Amino acid sequence: MSDDLHHLAAAYALDALDPDERQAFESHYPSCEICTREVLEFRETAAALAGGVATSPPPELRAGVMEQIGRTRQLSPLPSTPVVDIAPRRRRIRPLLLGAAAAAVLFVVGGVLGMLAGNSDGEGVDDVLAAPDAIITQLDGESGEMQLVWSPDRQQVALFASDMAEPPPDQTYQLWFLLPEGVVSAGTFEPGEDGTVRTLLDVGDVDGDGWGVTVEPDGGLDQPTGELVLSTTA
Amino acid sequence: METVNAARRLRSVRAETDTTTDPAELLDLAGRGSEEAFGSFYDLTSQLVYGIVLRVLRDPAMAEEVTQEVYVELWQLAPRFDPARGSARSWTATVAHRRAVDRVRSEQARRAREEADSHRAARAADSVVEEVLDELDRSRVRTALDELSDPQREAVTLAYYGGHSYREVAALLRIPEGTVKTRIRDGLIRLRDDLGVAP
Repeated sequence: MSDDLHHLAAAYALDALDPDERQAFESHYPSCEICTREVLEFRETAAALAGGVATSPPPELRAGVMEQIGRTRQLSPLPSTPVVDIAPRRRRIRPLLLGAAAAAVLFVVGGVLGMLAGNSDGEGVDDVLAAPDAIITQLDGESGEMQLVWSPDRQQVALFASDMAEPPPDQTYQLWFLLPEGVVSAGTFEPGEDGTVRTLLDVGDVDGDGWGVTVEPDGGLDQPTGELVLSTTA
Repeated sequence: METVNAARRLRSVRAETDTTTDPAELLDLAGRGSEEAFGSFYDLTSQLVYGIVLRVLRDPAMAEEVTQEVYVELWQLAPRFDPARGSARSWTATVAHRRAVDRVRSEQARRAREEADSHRAARAADSVVEEVLDELDRSRVRTALDELSDPQREAVTLAYYGGHSYREVAALLRIPEGTVKTRIRDGLIRLRDDLGVAP
């Protein structure tokens, strides 16, 4: 199969593949060094071809575009595996220390989700919630939203979600910690039958800039390969 | 605290927007939420985007609509733009061409286009090639295309400017699909070398 796939980079860069082939090639080339380089090069070539037919759009189009992006939300940055130069776009998690307001949020989050979860399955989760250094972060994405409470002192993270889809067979959700120098696994988790997540993960002594969740093969991987389904946005 | 940080960040973004005309830098600023930087990015790239979208769709109203969709997508994706994975121009052209092609291949547009084509007395494949070459006139791209063999130029032109899949190109020209794939590949390798574009 890959023999054939190797020769599709040019047609792919010109968008000349049928949908099934496009998909097959897209799942192949990121892991193939030669194909990745060819795609990059051929895309530059294609852009030069596009430049050959450059045409000014009607001037009024600009206002329409600006108006529309003004009410369009941006995607969160991807947890990129390459170490290269992600620094300018990284954002620090702003810790919400346990002031009175944060405590109230925590109480609500913990209370509501605690009820949803029904049987509280670990005192550990509650300990993280109650930790004085707890930091609450929300993750958003196509899988909905998830609350993440992290205690750097305890080196633990508690995850809460109420309506998460079951991962595909033989796959699992994996949480990633985005560090200045790359991405580190923070463990895997799966929602209960009712879609509830209430999980405690040991994450070790880490400090970083955000969190992301991908779908990976059972047991998890060293580096993310799946699509980012949840991530911190700010 | 958040507001103060956001305001400070925005101020520094504004200062940077005023001083750069590099699309990659503008995208980076846009990726941090600067609409102003995105406006400058639009000014630098809208001819590229509208040009290729119009070339593929051939319908100015539809091209405007798709161009707008392209920029909304670029705005959404801006935080994920990674300069290590290609230039801002190629990234932009990729999103634009893909959108145009997806539109043209959607059933409804296809029907409209086929109707238009039949009105023009079954425009032959070579007329698309002619048209493109006329439009390119004596540009650098035209010179590079002239270096290709006739079959290579035809395959690349129909695929990229015509928005056809290699299977469609094979059907249009009545030649085997494998042959089209080879011509596209060989043609693009030659163009890559002639146009001297490195990522």
